[in-house]
Amino acid sequence: MFLHNIKYELLTALRTKDLIFWLILFPILLGLFFKFAFDGIYEQVTQFSTIDTAVVDETDDTAFRSVIESVETQGKPLLNVVYTDREEAKKMLMDGDVKGIIYTGDELSLSVAENGIDQTTLKFFVEKYNLNSRIIKRTAEKDPAEAAKAAAVLSETADAVKEIPLTDGNTDNFIQYFYNLLAMVALFGSTVGLHISNVNQANLSAIGARKNCSPTPKSTGISAALMSSYIIETLCMILSVTYLRFVLGIDFGERLHLVYLSAAVSGTVGVSLGFCLGSLGSLNENAKTGISITLSLFLCFLSGLMVGNMKTIMAQKLPWFNKVNPAAVISDSFYCLNMYSDYERFTEKIITMLVMSAALALLGFFMTRRKKYASL
Amino acid sequence: MENTVVKIENLVKRYGDLIALDHLDLEIKRGEVLGLLGPNGSGKTTTINCLLSLLAFNKGRIEIFGKEMSPVAYDIKKNIGIIMQNVAVFDELTVYENIDYFCGLYITDKAKRKQYVEEAIHFTGLEEFLKFYPKKLSGGLLRRLNIACGIAHKPELIILDEPTVAVDPQSRNKILEGIQQLNRDGATIIYTSHYMEEVEQICTRIAIMDKGRKIAEGTKDELKRMIKNTETITIEVIGLSDADRSVVAGLPHVYDTAYDGSKLTIYCSGGKHNLIRILGVLQERELSFGRVYTELPTLNDVFLEITGKALRDKEE
Ligand SMILES: Nc1ncnc2c1ncn2[C@@H]1O[C@H](COP(=O)(O)OP(=O)(O)O)[C@@H](O)[C@H]1O
Ligand SMILES: [Mg+2]
Repeated sequence: MFLHNIKYELLTALRTKDLIFWLILFPILLGLFFKFAFDGIYEQVTQFSTIDTAVVDETDDTAFRSVIESVETQGKPLLNVVYTDREEAKKMLMDGDVKGIIYTGDELSLSVAENGIDQTTLKFFVEKYNLNSRIIKRTAEKDPAEAAKAAAVLSETADAVKEIPLTDGNTDNFIQYFYNLLAMVALFGSTVGLHISNVNQANLSAIGARKNCSPTPKSTGISAALMSSYIIETLCMILSVTYLRFVLGIDFGERLHLVYLSAAVSGTVGVSLGFCLGSLGSLNENAKTGISITLSLFLCFLSGLMVGNMKTIMAQKLPWFNKVNPAAVISDSFYCLNMYSDYERFTEKIITMLVMSAALALLGFFMTRRKKYASL
Repeated sequence: MENTVVKIENLVKRYGDLIALDHLDLEIKRGEVLGLLGPNGSGKTTTINCLLSLLAFNKGRIEIFGKEMSPVAYDIKKNIGIIMQNVAVFDELTVYENIDYFCGLYITDKAKRKQYVEEAIHFTGLEEFLKFYPKKLSGGLLRRLNIACGIAHKPELIILDEPTVAVDPQSRNKILEGIQQLNRDGATIIYTSHYMEEVEQICTRIAIMDKGRKIAEGTKDELKRMIKNTETITIEVIGLSDADRSVVAGLPHVYDTAYDGSKLTIYCSGGKHNLIRILGVLQERELSFGRVYTELPTLNDVFLEITGKALRDKEE
């Protein structure tokens, strides 16, 4: 009975035009649009090359020299350094042989000739270095024993530079759009979920009425529909990730298997959300589809699908909101995976998603559990 | 074997202030084709939905196959076939898949199901449309698919709610014949309609409903015997005086007359040779008459006499 239901649920879903549009076609087109819109930026990022820099080191700063050597980005050294004097350095900058001049001293200072990505990176590096050395100095003044940590902290500067938002923060924003795109596909799973209540509730459709007359318990029909919706949505998520990664070449980081895992889990949030929405009230399926698409897009908007820094704005205005906005949680899960080498934040996001999904599904079950209807 | 298949006692269903079913009692015996006849809004669908435990009702009791019906009475449900007023099939599934899907909710054994599905296809004459999607079917074929989905599991009790609405006469006849065939094959049938001709044609017993109440019940002959009209005679005649008309009205068995200047209508109750007697009077009074019609009472007359209004104005 259960398998029979699953088989036909899957068949029905695969032939539903709305589903194919919202869950497959629409994300593909939007992904393509993003890719074209951001392509210029993306090229610059992927073609990152070591920055030629002149260093005027009149104080013979050994700490600085050792940091310079260890700093690298994307496996390449961050800086290609030429030690020289002030005159020569200025000449090189004017001729365009170097992108900037770093002066050592009490604090590092930087001079550049124009604005650009490389210059921004240099600026970020210098600021970060100065910040760290100030911290070290202050610590050392208070407690000389602590000064031993100086080296450790300084080498952290190297790590920090690896996390530089290489292009004015554009890499971040750029890839955020794709994370939000995935969040959108996940939440569009709600249109699949809607179907579950629709075909199992006598007050929502004639098919629901007919199924309610059969000796197959409603719980069987609903679980089968829920299961097949999860399967369908997971397939759509896998398709989207694969398309973004291997067709558009979006870099989701090293741990692609976890990206897939996160995608699959986020899909269940969308399906459960739809199931829950579908069980509410007695609007017809088209109206509910409209509502769930709108709701999904709105949540994704607040998480930065249309305007990149929306999530930061929300974090300032309504700090709790990003923690409960499923779109934000979903896109964050991908972000964490790319940004942090540990699993703490990622695990937290995955657990949040699972809890949301389970809670919504239970709520849906609770609402559809009714046996007789007051009105059909 | 229990002889009463369905027993509805004192059923009351309210929608807010509206009383959709007003203390309804109804019994259906094994092997019957029971017609629920009533105008739109009289409560037929509501009765069916309560019967199936889809609708919660305010008062009353429903037994099917001698057991109390409930949403979880799966042993009862597996022997019921339901054809709803609204077509209930998946647009995304083909004719064959739809029948197989719904049959599969009742029959788990695959081989048996395959056989049943094929029999249902044959029975409804859908052989040539197996790969069609419902959207591609004509109204009549769609109704037949709807029926196939409801009866494939060979239920003992089949409930059809207005299965012929918006169906061409040919398909309608096929559907009516099919229902009689199912009955001959042993199924008990509940058939709702607002078309009295259909109900007269196929039902062994008829319950007439109006405003949520059962206003009459019996075989069609029993129902017709309930009313005083036995014959309505219409005669085309011009220049009839009031005196002429009162002579006709005074004849035995005539209980009412009407005259519109060209047509005289005479309502008779019982008796024989009414027509000959009336024509004799007209001849005696040297009135020439044109065409003459005589009609036996219909269920509409029954409805009219009980409720004071026609069952329906015109075929829609
Ligand atoms: N869901 C509902 N809410 C309120 N009133 C309803 C509802 N369904 C039916 N009714 C009313 O109940 C009465 C009986 O309706 P119904 O059983 O559908 O009649 P029928 O099937 O004989 O045409 C009608 O007056 C109808 O308007
Ligand atoms: Mg009805």
